[in-house]
Amino acid sequence: MSGETALDQSGLGVPAERAPTDWRGDAMRRRIARRYASERRFRLLGMAAVLASAGFLAFLLISMMGNGLRGFTRTEVAVPIDFPRSVAMIDPAVLQTNPEQALANANLPAVLEQATTQAFGVSDTQLLSPNAVLALRDAIIRDPAILDQKVTVNLPASTGIDVAMKSEGNGTDEALASRLDDTGVISTAFNLGFLTGSDGTDPTMVGIWGALKGSLITMVITLALSFPIGVFAALYLEEYAPRNRWTDLIEVSINNLAAVPSIIFGLLGLAIFLNVMHLPRSAPLVGGMTLALMTMPVIVIAGRNAIKAVPPSIRDAALGIGASPVQVVFHHVLPLALPGILTGTIIGMARALGETAPLLMIGMRAFVSQPPGGFTDPATVLPVQIFLWSDEVGRGFIEKTSAAIIVLLAFLLTMNSIAIYLRNKFEKKW
Amino acid sequence: MVMPDMQSSAPKMSARGVNVFYGDKQAIDNVSIDVDLDHVTAFIGPSGCGKSTFLRTLNRMNDTVASARVEGEITLDGEDIYSSGMDVVQLRARVGMVFQKPNPFPKSIYENIAYGPRIHGLAGNKADLDQVVEKSLRRAGLWEEVKDRLNESGTALSGGQQQRLCIARAIAVDPEVILMDEPCSALDPIATAKIEELILELRGNYAIVIVTHNMQQAARVSQRTAFFHLGKLVEQGPTTEIFTNPREERTKDYITGRYG
Repeated sequence: MSGETALDQSGLGVPAERAPTDWRGDAMRRRIARRYASERRFRLLGMAAVLASAGFLAFLLISMMGNGLRGFTRTEVAVPIDFPRSVAMIDPAVLQTNPEQALANANLPAVLEQATTQAFGVSDTQLLSPNAVLALRDAIIRDPAILDQKVTVNLPASTGIDVAMKSEGNGTDEALASRLDDTGVISTAFNLGFLTGSDGTDPTMVGIWGALKGSLITMVITLALSFPIGVFAALYLEEYAPRNRWTDLIEVSINNLAAVPSIIFGLLGLAIFLNVMHLPRSAPLVGGMTLALMTMPVIVIAGRNAIKAVPPSIRDAALGIGASPVQVVFHHVLPLALPGILTGTIIGMARALGETAPLLMIGMRAFVSQPPGGFTDPATVLPVQIFLWSDEVGRGFIEKTSAAIIVLLAFLLTMNSIAIYLRNKFEKKW
Repeated sequence: MVMPDMQSSAPKMSARGVNVFYGDKQAIDNVSIDVDLDHVTAFIGPSGCGKSTFLRTLNRMNDTVASARVEGEITLDGEDIYSSGMDVVQLRARVGMVFQKPNPFPKSIYENIAYGPRIHGLAGNKADLDQVVEKSLRRAGLWEEVKDRLNESGTALSGGQQQRLCIARAIAVDPEVILMDEPCSALDPIATAKIEELILELRGNYAIVIVTHNMQQAARVSQRTAFFHLGKLVEQGPTTEIFTNPREERTKDYITGRYG
């Protein structure tokens, strides 16, 4: 009422009568058709994007598997050995009490030399891996009775033969390999040594276990340091700290820290942990500490967001029946925020696991032929091992590099699956 | 039964000259009021008049707001609740609170009730705790509905059941005063009726203060009413008097629906 009179008095007048909308007219039909078309376009674009990323992933997986799976196998040569007529010198008494010592002094390399020369007319160094002696030794320990017989033992082939069989080796090896293959003495077997060994100079001898264990220990250190520090920092900043210029400054700093290139954390680790604190070089302890520096801000940021997302009404409810602030945090806020915090931790840890650059700075790129026994032993980690092998000239290292990548991806998937399982478990609780 | 304005026994809670500030803005201006044990006291007034703010000063929930500042004196059984000797955690157990929106913990129904007694050490063993849970749920009129599913999540209940669960949770820590901040504003009429019934049953065992913007509700459940406007306590007295014969013009305008 009052509105209309006001309009009339101000002299603006009533707006002209609008023509009735033609909901079935051509213009309207065209508009609807355009709307549907844009809807379809959007759907197609989305599907194309998903297909493209799935394609990249499939390409990555297929090419990795194609190259890498061969890294888990080794070529073996069936070598006939006539032990009674060989040059082996084995003391039967020592063999029973201490077989390894007995066989170490048994001149087994000469036995192999003799056997390969007799059977195939080539020296054992050309035909067999340096590992062959160990394989022969293990075969004898398994069944000492073969020492009295003429037997055929499957022994790992040399890198040259291995490469020649799997892809393309050099001329002499190719010739030798195809000649042997025709006689049917060449076979392929699962290379257990790759999963149990460490870095080495010969591609047939290297294994991933050293790097895997190094990664494992490093991740334990990283998690043990960054998770509690990150969670407590996030809790304090969200639940306790007053909002003022200082906390703003801390927030900006943490956000910046999360964006700092990883190699700079490596320099920091080098300067502080090695040069000032004099911790051991190349050790998982220092690697883990360096990666923890890098992971912590990610956990703090994810943790703060997760804590922020806990509804204030839950805090009110707990405070309202007389829970102390610490009880509110540990009985209500933290359990509710934990799934979110774990998600952040997964992202941070996955990034730390794949990190190479900062670890190069603190000396974890050293050649380490023994798996680390503890936190302070020299070690390397999976991505650094991949980096080192990819740098090797020997052709046999190509498939080892791919195989190591598969191990790294498998490790990553396992780690993430465990974290996702934990997250879902906590989510189900409420 | 018409209560005299001043009672012979000392009031359970009493506020004298209370001012509340949020930063520079004054939200409550010189409020003095008593809360008695055998009364339901209703705070009414238009939105933003400060009735909820004042309610939250009674159990120091305003402490959680960094910019809030309280002046004046509020006592519980004669003891200043803002003095340094008062333990705020214990105060909130003694002065329980039910919020506007039902806010059960995302835990089982049992855990919702058992949490308070557990953190205050009110139940010695599992049997005691079971008993406290059952008694609280019975008091809140929820026992029959949930006794077979105590392990289900409290958030799976309907809105009205959730609010009664919250009342049961407040009762479980054996409070002396229960503050209710618009406990029915998120509920449908049937659930509201149940809560109001519950308030009437609880009356006498606890001093109850209820904030409401529903004047019929205030008239139905309370014996004393206080009318707040723009942060000031305009008028207080027996509910029947406030609604039938208000002294102040502003009170009359509000309860007759001139503004609100």
